[in-house]
Amino acid sequence: MKFFQAKFILLTLVLNVAPCGAADVPKALMPESHFAVFDKYCIECHDSLTTEGEVNLDELSFNIDSIQSAEMWQKVLNVINSGEMPPEDKAQISQKEKTLFLDDLSHQMVVAREVLSDSGGVITMRRLNRREYENTVKDLLGVEIDASDLPDDANSGGFDTAGNSLFFSSDQFEQYLKLARTALDEAFVFGKQPERRQAKVEVEEGINTRFQKLSSKIEKDFKRAEEWRATEGKKEPSDFDFIDENDVRFHERLYNQQFATYERYLSQENSKSGAMLNLLFNGAVVPTIAVPKNWPPGDYLLKVRIATLPGAESHQHFVEYGEIAANVRSGEMAVFGCVKVSASLEEPQILEIPVSVTKAGSRTFGLRQRQPNSRDAARYTFLQSQIKSGAGPNPALWIDWLELDGPIVESWPPRSTTSIFHKGMWWNQGDQSVYAREVIEQFTRRAFRIKEPSAAFIEKLYGLYEIETKKDKKFHEAIREPLAVVMASTGFLYLIEPSPGQKKKELTDLELAVRLSYFLWSAPPDEALYAVARRGELKDPAKLGWHTNRMLNDPKADEFISRFAHQWLHMERLDFFQFDFKQFPKFDESVKEAARQEVYQTIRKILNENRPLSDLLKADHIVVNDVLADYYDIEGVTGGEFQKVSLPANSPRGGLTGMAAILAMGSDGTRSSPVERGAWVMRKLLDDPPPPAPANVPQISRLSGQLLSPREMQKAHMEEAQCAQCHRKIDPIGFGLQNFDAAGIWRDTLELKKVVKKKVRQKKVIPIDASGQLPNREAFADYYGLRDRLAEQSDVFARGFTESLIEYGLGRPYGFSDESLRERILKQAAAKDGEMRQFIHALIQSKPFRTKK
Amino acid sequence: MNTLSQNRRTFLRSSSALVALPFLESAGFRPFVSAAAPATPPKRLAFLGVGFGFTRDTWYPDSKITGSDYQLSEGLSPLERHKSDITVIQNLSNQYNNEAHWGSTFWLTGANRYAEPGQSFHNTISADQVAAETLGKETRFTSVQLGYKGGDNGHGPGLSLAWNRQGKPMAGYDTPVAAFHRLFSDDKTPLAERQAALLQQRSVLDTVLEDAKSTSRGLTKADTDKLDEYFQSIREIETRLSKEEEWLDVPKVRPSEPIKEPGAGLEGVEEVKMMYDLMIAAMQVDASRVFTYRQPLDTFIRSMGATITSHNMSHYSEGARKEVSRERDLKQSELFAHFIDRLKAIKEANDTTLFDNTTVTLGSNINSIHYLTNCPTVVTGRGAGVQHGRHLVMKDPKTPLCNLWLSLLKGSGIDVESHGDSTGQIEELFGAV
Repeated sequence: MKFFQAKFILLTLVLNVAPCGAADVPKALMPESHFAVFDKYCIECHDSLTTEGEVNLDELSFNIDSIQSAEMWQKVLNVINSGEMPPEDKAQISQKEKTLFLDDLSHQMVVAREVLSDSGGVITMRRLNRREYENTVKDLLGVEIDASDLPDDANSGGFDTAGNSLFFSSDQFEQYLKLARTALDEAFVFGKQPERRQAKVEVEEGINTRFQKLSSKIEKDFKRAEEWRATEGKKEPSDFDFIDENDVRFHERLYNQQFATYERYLSQENSKSGAMLNLLFNGAVVPTIAVPKNWPPGDYLLKVRIATLPGAESHQHFVEYGEIAANVRSGEMAVFGCVKVSASLEEPQILEIPVSVTKAGSRTFGLRQRQPNSRDAARYTFLQSQIKSGAGPNPALWIDWLELDGPIVESWPPRSTTSIFHKGMWWNQGDQSVYAREVIEQFTRRAFRIKEPSAAFIEKLYGLYEIETKKDKKFHEAIREPLAVVMASTGFLYLIEPSPGQKKKELTDLELAVRLSYFLWSAPPDEALYAVARRGELKDPAKLGWHTNRMLNDPKADEFISRFAHQWLHMERLDFFQFDFKQFPKFDESVKEAARQEVYQTIRKILNENRPLSDLLKADHIVVNDVLADYYDIEGVTGGEFQKVSLPANSPRGGLTGMAAILAMGSDGTRSSPVERGAWVMRKLLDDPPPPAPANVPQISRLSGQLLSPREMQKAHMEEAQCAQCHRKIDPIGFGLQNFDAAGIWRDTLELKKVVKKKVRQKKVIPIDASGQLPNREAFADYYGLRDRLAEQSDVFARGFTESLIEYGLGRPYGFSDESLRERILKQAAAKDGEMRQFIHALIQSKPFRTKK
Repeated sequence: MNTLSQNRRTFLRSSSALVALPFLESAGFRPFVSAAAPATPPKRLAFLGVGFGFTRDTWYPDSKITGSDYQLSEGLSPLERHKSDITVIQNLSNQYNNEAHWGSTFWLTGANRYAEPGQSFHNTISADQVAAETLGKETRFTSVQLGYKGGDNGHGPGLSLAWNRQGKPMAGYDTPVAAFHRLFSDDKTPLAERQAALLQQRSVLDTVLEDAKSTSRGLTKADTDKLDEYFQSIREIETRLSKEEEWLDVPKVRPSEPIKEPGAGLEGVEEVKMMYDLMIAAMQVDASRVFTYRQPLDTFIRSMGATITSHNMSHYSEGARKEVSRERDLKQSELFAHFIDRLKAIKEANDTTLFDNTTVTLGSNINSIHYLTNCPTVVTGRGAGVQHGRHLVMKDPKTPLCNLWLSLLKGSGIDVESHGDSTGQIEELFGAV
């Protein structure tokens, strides 16, 4: 019987929002069963005769089909959520009726809002979003710019490709001009090709001298303090060159904190020949190398001769490299990456790290032993170890020397210059004003992608050049201004698809090429794509498919993978919290970064190997690098590249629910949150997003301050209909993931703590019960059961994925009018074993992707 | 009181940088070179948006005791010395906002997100921009929007608190350094060159308009609307250039004692304090008369030692998170009290101070946690004629927040009949309760 009941509920749900024929508009219908609630509790005061508070529910349609009726229903939802209605002195709605009523109404309000705001498939012309802008400038000028002063265009809830949400402000216009001028300055490179050269630093020299100085000063001061102590107060501290007794204590403290560390360092044989990477009381040992002042910007190789020291654990074999800004404190750096060192002292290895030297950067690079990326955390680690050893943690890595090699020039003059000055340098040209016009026109065409610049526009650009020449500017200085203006013009900043005289039209081949490349690369088409479009062949399904594959295989598609996944899976949450370093010492910045990459790299592998989308729900393998493998306790992985590793049968990893990034997102940096995790699973894996958190719901204060387990909290949630409507579905899923702590590490027990004024007042350890159920009542006994139940739902997962893909690819919110498109994509992908790549093909081949509406 | 301000003036300086505030008299200040200094000082308005709301049971004064005999709550206690110069108002809200994390998007607009069919987002002009249309005519900067770099912090969509006539977001200065340079740094180049530069900027605008015109051909309705944002931006710059032209030979007025550039890495509490000081300095030299500040909250609480996010804090329960929330309330009020100190300390013409001519509102569309009713609201300054020293609890628990904005606008001499969903002025503000 129960079984049938469950099926029945599913069936009615499906009917309610069933995909009607493409022409039908779906409806937001409140089930008529709720008439009874109105009759019993509301109509007495709010019928057409009484209309208390000017609310007349008699005439309120249960079909929420207009903005007016939506507003009235929203009011109804709000007052019941807030407990304002029914008034205290009237009959109260039973918890059961209320839960069902709120559940239906909040869901139908979401439907109603979507129906009422459905643009009917209209794709609004889109401005380049920030990252597309950066990529497009890089494609045009070969220069990487820092556009962080532009709005980041992250769109809460949606994607940053949604044209309608990409605004334009006057401030932005000025930013575009400014950024373009800077980028052009960097792109213009003249003169002789810079010679490739090398500079080497024997790192021990500087470090040892500094440590010797420091330790002997500390020791001398300490001895002086001892001498004063020996006088037992008969003499003044000032007789020994101290200010007062505090000053004495200060120097004694300094000695206790630091002297042993320096002494140990200097006494060890390996410090004579190189630097031993180590934490210090004040920071860390960080060997550095500075780019000599007269070396030009460009690509360089940073070479490091490095080895592990005996006795170090493998977790410590990681070295971080990065840039050292001016005036940072010891141990601080902007970390670029982290890599595992495998060589021993007998046979050190040479790491080669590509670095790029810019005009504006600090021009100093350094390496340090992997450490928590906050001074507080690093000091905490040092002190923990100092308590035991007296001198801080043992060094684990040794560096012999650092070398800079470069600049490495592929062609000279660089492409950035030759592509602008297409006929060579101006001093070789006859009439400079003629050449200026040519350069402007040629550049504008390239920058505008497919828009034909008007003659009047070119003329005015030339006018800007002339204004500059009148100021006695040199050719390249004068030409910069019109080129910068091109990069602040609509032809460059917008993806334009005009459709004169008609509302809907098939895209031209060139327009299709641009839409495709911004979808898969977030960048303009390359020559091959332009060429096929110019020949008018891109619309041919076979050619379109071939280029789709080619572009997906290109590293440039990493941009699509990472930015789509980041927004689709709401991964911004990963950066919402600083993880407590005392609680999660291993979850440092390098692990967090690797965990983030795991999501992207897994998708990359799925695409490359034509694997099904459902691999994301459950897989017998994992895609990790050395850092993450170390974190997951998986052996035998070397190298910073992400690689596929088979998992033992009982591993909780394999699939999104076992990934550290996803699990960490479902926490607040301290505690795991079954609510966040459960809601995420409903949104992202089950395509059943809970309605937005309602405003004005009374907080359950009865239990505040008590030490409650998540399950006890949920019980409390169930008492209030306003909470129960969603939490009865969300929480039971979240419980299934409780075996992972806030940083995604497996645990069997849960520690509850009550903290008042930063002190633990109460503590309790309870075993984890990870049983629960999905909203469709499919029950599971533990995490593995949850993962299996989810894997069985691969159809709904594919549905949610497809909707997001449509939204990202078409640059507009997913609407009900897209249901037939979604079904077609799902069908086509299913016919090819559900391969992830096929979803992308199906969307690109679809009519909406090839149409401007 | 005045003597205290006089003395405080000399040592009330920002801890991290020196923004000295002069007497206008000594700076030889005149807003226009052609015009004489105004006989009466100008009216000003400032709006301070705090994102996520405050701690419910410790920030709001007891709603049963209204009028002047009320007690300041724990969260407002640092404002004790200004108690007779502030008004705490309860029961104001925006009827249309259902977004529990959007504390600023509709705060000054009162708009209905879903008012436009076929659109999922709609907004209307904010109160500050209504004011700027009148008050901004005579100053170098029509309005000044301040903000911060980084996440949402309970503000919701928007680039600042300000939304223009078209209901589009307006950008602001995100760091004290940026604000400082825009407001106070003078272009050292000679006048003739600056004139030429303006001319050149006009040519730039003229050029991009040429291209935009050709782009506008053959677009759909939705695309035309979108491109209109571009045209609108160019028009705004044109208006500003006209203004700059008018002001070309008027040097930016700097406070007479040397101003130091704010430190680059200022974050959290120090950042807010610096922005407050910059606002005061800008008021003092009449750089602008309309200010909004969309304040940081993540870095705010982090700079006080918290390790949680502002969203986490906003969902406080008894224990650590609530402690953070209460500490934040206190710090917010401390800084606000400092802001009022400064307003009272700066003298203007007619024996008045900035405080007499300015109206400042601090608040959010979010009450606390996920509550959107009874938006937290504190008003100070005598610029709009508000009778302070009282706790007003509106009889209608859903009095439109826009009634407050309408009252303050009209009180500041702006000729408006309504704003957002206003139903009228709040008469209690100006007279006996």
